[in-house]
Amino acid sequence: MTSDLVIGMAGAGGDGVISAGEALMSAAAREGYRAIMTKSYGPQIRGGESSFRLRLATRALFTAGGTLDFAVALNWNDFLRFGAELPVDGRTVVVYEEDSGVAPNALPLAGVTPAEAIAAPIERIARETAGTNKAKNTVVLGLLAEWLGLSRDDLLAGLRKRLAGKSTEVLEGNERAFDAGAAFAKAHPLRADRRLESPQTTGAERMLVDGNEMCAAAAIVAGCEFFSGYPITPSSEIMHWLSREIWRYGGTVLQAEDEIAGMGAVVGASFAGRKAMTATSGPGMSLKTEMLGLATIAELPLVCVNVQRGGPSTGMPTKSEQSDLLQAVFSAHGDVVRPVIAPISVADTFRMTVEAFNIAEQYQTPVILLSDADIAQRKEIIDPIDTSAVTIVNRRIPNDRELEDYARFQITESGVSPISHPGMERGNYLASGIEHSEHGAPTASGELHARMNDKRIRKLAPLKARRDLFTIDGDREAPIGLVSWGSVAGVALEAADLARREGIKLKVLVPRLMYPVSEEVYEDFFASVRAGLVIEQSHQGQLYRLIRMFVDTPRGLESLARSGANPIAPAEVLDRVRRMVTTMQRGRAPEPEPMAG
Amino acid sequence: MTTTTVATPNDYKSDLKPIWCPGCGDYGVVQAIYRALAAVGRPPHEVAFVSGIGCSSRIPGYTTTYGFNTVHGRALPIAQGIKLARPELLVLVAGGDGDGFSIGGGHVPHAVRRNIDLTYVVMDNQIYGLTKGQLSPTSPRGLKTVSSAYGSVEDPVNPLMYVLGYGARFVAQGTPADLSGLASLIEAGLRYPGFAFINVQSPCITYGQPEAQLKAHKAAMKRLETMGHDVTDRLAAMRLAAEYGEALYTGVFYRDPNPSPTYDAELVERRRAFGTLDRARALDRFVPH
Repeated sequence: MTSDLVIGMAGAGGDGVISAGEALMSAAAREGYRAIMTKSYGPQIRGGESSFRLRLATRALFTAGGTLDFAVALNWNDFLRFGAELPVDGRTVVVYEEDSGVAPNALPLAGVTPAEAIAAPIERIARETAGTNKAKNTVVLGLLAEWLGLSRDDLLAGLRKRLAGKSTEVLEGNERAFDAGAAFAKAHPLRADRRLESPQTTGAERMLVDGNEMCAAAAIVAGCEFFSGYPITPSSEIMHWLSREIWRYGGTVLQAEDEIAGMGAVVGASFAGRKAMTATSGPGMSLKTEMLGLATIAELPLVCVNVQRGGPSTGMPTKSEQSDLLQAVFSAHGDVVRPVIAPISVADTFRMTVEAFNIAEQYQTPVILLSDADIAQRKEIIDPIDTSAVTIVNRRIPNDRELEDYARFQITESGVSPISHPGMERGNYLASGIEHSEHGAPTASGELHARMNDKRIRKLAPLKARRDLFTIDGDREAPIGLVSWGSVAGVALEAADLARREGIKLKVLVPRLMYPVSEEVYEDFFASVRAGLVIEQSHQGQLYRLIRMFVDTPRGLESLARSGANPIAPAEVLDRVRRMVTTMQRGRAPEPEPMAG
Repeated sequence: MTTTTVATPNDYKSDLKPIWCPGCGDYGVVQAIYRALAAVGRPPHEVAFVSGIGCSSRIPGYTTTYGFNTVHGRALPIAQGIKLARPELLVLVAGGDGDGFSIGGGHVPHAVRRNIDLTYVVMDNQIYGLTKGQLSPTSPRGLKTVSSAYGSVEDPVNPLMYVLGYGARFVAQGTPADLSGLASLIEAGLRYPGFAFINVQSPCITYGQPEAQLKAHKAAMKRLETMGHDVTDRLAAMRLAAEYGEALYTGVFYRDPNPSPTYDAELVERRRAFGTLDRARALDRFVPH
């Protein structure tokens, strides 16, 4: 029995690979397992090869795992195209189409001998039972159900839902295909037991959702009434979900003519008093930057999501990277502090999206929600979220007394001024990108400009004390500290788990508030740290550099940073940690490793 | 939403003193806007007045409406966001020829085709005044400026022809040389149910050409309504518009007699049809049972 298992499957377009993965995932959700699924496609717009990787476990997961426990190849050409995305080693059980004519001892896996190789007549079973090779994926579900010990009922329930609207013959054919697959597996028991342990909990109310959908739905919970954006990979699904759903909540979606107009419409909607959001990725973020300056000086709340991908320019649009951090933090004209918030998982995307809206409304500022393609595109099974327990913040509107002589940009102690909106009587004011007086009149006074800059930056200072926007995991006095963010934080957390099992004392700091940098939180964390790693998916080590701009870090703090689409594995982090332990035991401060340019 | 007193132009005039040069055409435009707003009669707090950047884009500040002086070229997208967020507002947009047909030129066709109920007033002076006299997209070929020392070798944009070509449903041109005519054009635009475009020949007294000042306008302008022009004939409107830069026609060039429902009206309908669900239940969609 196992409590944690990774399945990878690949095939040609039309083989139903992705829907097989989704069926497995919804069955797992019903049974109470946790899971993370990532999908990968060839570069073709339609009909190219496709694959999924699904990690199933009885406890919460942070990453989609490493080497496959189960590899399913509907044909070898397509499977091999995914290379390192579907890694096979000596522990893997390989199941493949018998029709391929490949002998189990002659698999096209250079230098790798899997634990077991089973040639299954997948296509023949599909034709004989369902009368069509479209049921190949259902045969695979039958095989896996038997070998993994997943419930027939739960898998078939998902299948029926997917085939809703099809004829009874199709449904019955698929059930026969499933059963024949299961029978084949029963007749071919695995040498090593790969059955999943039962989950401790039931799957009641568990959710099955990806990061972009979660961001969109969280925006609804937070009170978002307006979305405008322009299609861009890998963020478009946020617009897709909202364009279907937002109307049910009294909201509006506008697909704009370009990234700038999308941002503009959101600025307008916010000026009109509505909570508003846009979403984009790197190149789009560059185009929206001028308008962010306007929202900063006009003090308009809004949320701008950047789902990061490989850059610069078109870069690698379908691959994840964390290389827009410095852009998010610093791309501004003028003296600007703009909050940047980053989620670390699909579930965390809920909390951070709501937080982004709340911070925007509380402080009347644009907020950048910095997600990444890994989180946005992966599906997870997550625990139910009690949305009734969520705090929703709304902007402070002027009261009657304040409307008597309304000063939209009043310099208050907190720096936050009451904000009206068109339609509100006596709240009329001039909003502008021009520096202005407390009443909104344009000014070129140096004295006023300095006071307004001070107000706009001062109002955000309380954010730095928000310790709930950081998590610290592990022994507070540990001499080894890991820092990581976004989707890569999961790698650090998993590596720390492995290290602790070896008796290594360490702790992990995961910031969600990326900017303004909370010096105090980092200084407290680093107080006991003699050696550590800042782990991130960017060539330059952008977080490492950002922290060091604001914080005196320990001499033994190193950067573990790499360009996108070159995953950092927990085992690799563990290896670096072990070396730090050895060096410290020898009584020397570790020598920092040289960084990339 | 309603007002019981009759509005006067003065109700829309703010205390801010314009930064415009004495003799600037924009003084007349803002007067025409006060008159048009008073004629329509919506109280100032129900009016959003959005502009871009340029001399003319200072104009919202000289009114008592909810003004928004935004960034260069982006007044239209911002105005559309406002109108879609609060369709009950009256939304007026203004800017210069650089704002509308150079840096922001890409937004105009989309504002036109969406037919969101906005009124867009362009103060066209064929020059960049705020930045001190460079070529603008409507500057005539051959014009010598600080940025075209040996004369421009570019043809100008024809704003009227462009907008008619985009399919605009209301297209007009005015000049502050005929203040009451201009005020009624803006009023007609504000009342038109859909996107309305009004090009205003608003002279730059400092950097503009001597032959394009108010006095010259007065002498040269030809009122379309006295010419027997059929305002429901788009092709006839385009033939007249083709003379932009040579003849100064004022009045309505084109007015679609059968306006289709506006984008904002369609949205209001759609939202009504959907009803309103509880936002706290938005995550229910992800439970696979």
